[in-house]
Amino acid sequence: MKMPSDARRFSVRPTPRQARALQSVHLPAFWILCLLLALSAWRLGLMLQSPLERFPTATLTAIVLFAVWAVPFWLFISSMDFLEREPPLLLATAFAWGAVVATMAAMPGNRALLGLTAKVVGPEFAMVWGPAIASPAIEELLKALGLVMIVLVARWQINSVLDGMVYGALIGLGFQVVENVFYALNAVEMANTGDKVGPVVATFFLRGFLAGLWSHTLFSAVAGAGIAWFLVRKDQPLVVRCSGLLLGLGLAWGTHFIWNSPLLMDGYGVTGAELLVGLLLKGLPALVLGMGLLWVARHREANYYIDRLEALRDPEIATKGELYTLRHGHLRAEARRYGKFRAGPAGRKAVKALQLAQAHLAVELSRAPAGLVTGDPVLLHIRDDVLEIRNQLMRLAHPEAVASPLRPAIPRILVMGVLTAIVLFGLIWYAITSMHGA
Amino acid sequence: MRNLLGGAAVLAVILGIAFVLPAIDRAVPAGRGVPALRHTIADGISVVPPTGALIAKRTRAGPASGSIMFLIGPARYVISVEPFDGDAAKASQRLRTKIQNMRGYQVTGPESPVVTDSGLSGLGSDFTAPGRSGRYVAFVVPGRAVEVTVNVSETDFEQACLPIDASIASISWNGRK
Repeated sequence: MKMPSDARRFSVRPTPRQARALQSVHLPAFWILCLLLALSAWRLGLMLQSPLERFPTATLTAIVLFAVWAVPFWLFISSMDFLEREPPLLLATAFAWGAVVATMAAMPGNRALLGLTAKVVGPEFAMVWGPAIASPAIEELLKALGLVMIVLVARWQINSVLDGMVYGALIGLGFQVVENVFYALNAVEMANTGDKVGPVVATFFLRGFLAGLWSHTLFSAVAGAGIAWFLVRKDQPLVVRCSGLLLGLGLAWGTHFIWNSPLLMDGYGVTGAELLVGLLLKGLPALVLGMGLLWVARHREANYYIDRLEALRDPEIATKGELYTLRHGHLRAEARRYGKFRAGPAGRKAVKALQLAQAHLAVELSRAPAGLVTGDPVLLHIRDDVLEIRNQLMRLAHPEAVASPLRPAIPRILVMGVLTAIVLFGLIWYAITSMHGA
Repeated sequence: MRNLLGGAAVLAVILGIAFVLPAIDRAVPAGRGVPALRHTIADGISVVPPTGALIAKRTRAGPASGSIMFLIGPARYVISVEPFDGDAAKASQRLRTKIQNMRGYQVTGPESPVVTDSGLSGLGSDFTAPGRSGRYVAFVVPGRAVEVTVNVSETDFEQACLPIDASIASISWNGRK
């Protein structure tokens, strides 16, 4: 498919309309993926069999706690791509790769590389630096291979840098959940107090919040950005694309290396504040990098698709205010809130429906660059959907799906984010001081 | 064809990490490099881990308490130090009770005395659970108990215990030495 010139600028390659999930069944890589998932799931089951027999309550508690912990992350990650939603089955496949294939291969791989480091360089060096060397090398490679596999079975679904970040983040999330379950089971084993949930809860807090709130999810999202950039920027020379790919993988490896390194392992000192500062110094660069990349990728993708709508110059389909709103996630949420304020729950529902229909039309327009003038039945059908919802809004006396002009100057999402961070840091502080900085 | 090659390449890398890398690790002889050094578990109490052992988890709940978990192949070797007021028999009884409280765990033999190279005295025995075997030893130093637990699959038990027994013998308390 020929790529529109601005698609290059925005790092987006629209999925062709003829792409269908069932087409993947004809690909050899699909069956290799199924084989790997099945074998790894069987291996995971075997590994959980012994803890389930010996510590059934603790094991089930660990599985349930970390599964529930993953839900808000999943919702956040999958909502990132509002305009061009990814197929749920493919999102689940990404998560399963991280949870099952990457973890099952990483366990023996990590042990072997640590063992080799101990033998070749020395046990002391391996004890101190081994986790920083082996884990990023093995785990980041295995998680990145998950995205490669998704590319092999559903190439056209990875059509922007944002898509790569979404799939990468879900692979990392799956990995993090299963890794944390095994950390919790190690803690139960080590406590030697039988089938008690205490060590599980302690691990849940330590691994889930204190040291690992955003670890693997973020590392893999950064790697995913590099892989997706390599895929969509076919206009660039191969050497430039490879540099982008290596940069993404290198940043994922580097942030993982810093996180696992012995530097500031016990914080900046011994008090609660010093430990917290140490953790933040190690974790914040990755968070800032990942969120910065996410912000750029989201806006680039949004701008690319919304430009298709803007080119129609039809206020019945999208007014100038709505076009501006659609480009910004927080304004879309504000518009739904404003719809509720002016026309009750029906207003909120209609605004959301309009936004989804406009997004759908924008994506379909990107797949049919000639646009509505060709009489394309798919485009005409979606346009009719948009117009019908517009009529609904007119009947609700709320004709335009925009944010309130009286909305707070500081976006609500920013205020909520800052408040959540303060509460979280407070809880972490409390936990550190309760543990006497141990 | 490209799709098949791509999938096969991913499969090859996965198999390489999961099977070939561990095979290389096993093929490289241990003990050629620097010998394993002594690790402090809690103030004054230390151990020399078996060569090639990896630390899976380490905690310090204060100067007098701490624990460490080593992975040696399929075996988990845990040493835990915590405040305790009693003799070796009481410490051993407490550890045995903890083990037997776990579902399916049974101590299989009588307790026998264990003496480390540095002269620490303790009591220990073996235990079994479905598909697993283990060994425990409890030592006492003034005000603290040192609990050692080894847990491994039945088939690997004998082989795993050889280097771990040597490591248990290396446990020392600097107050005595």
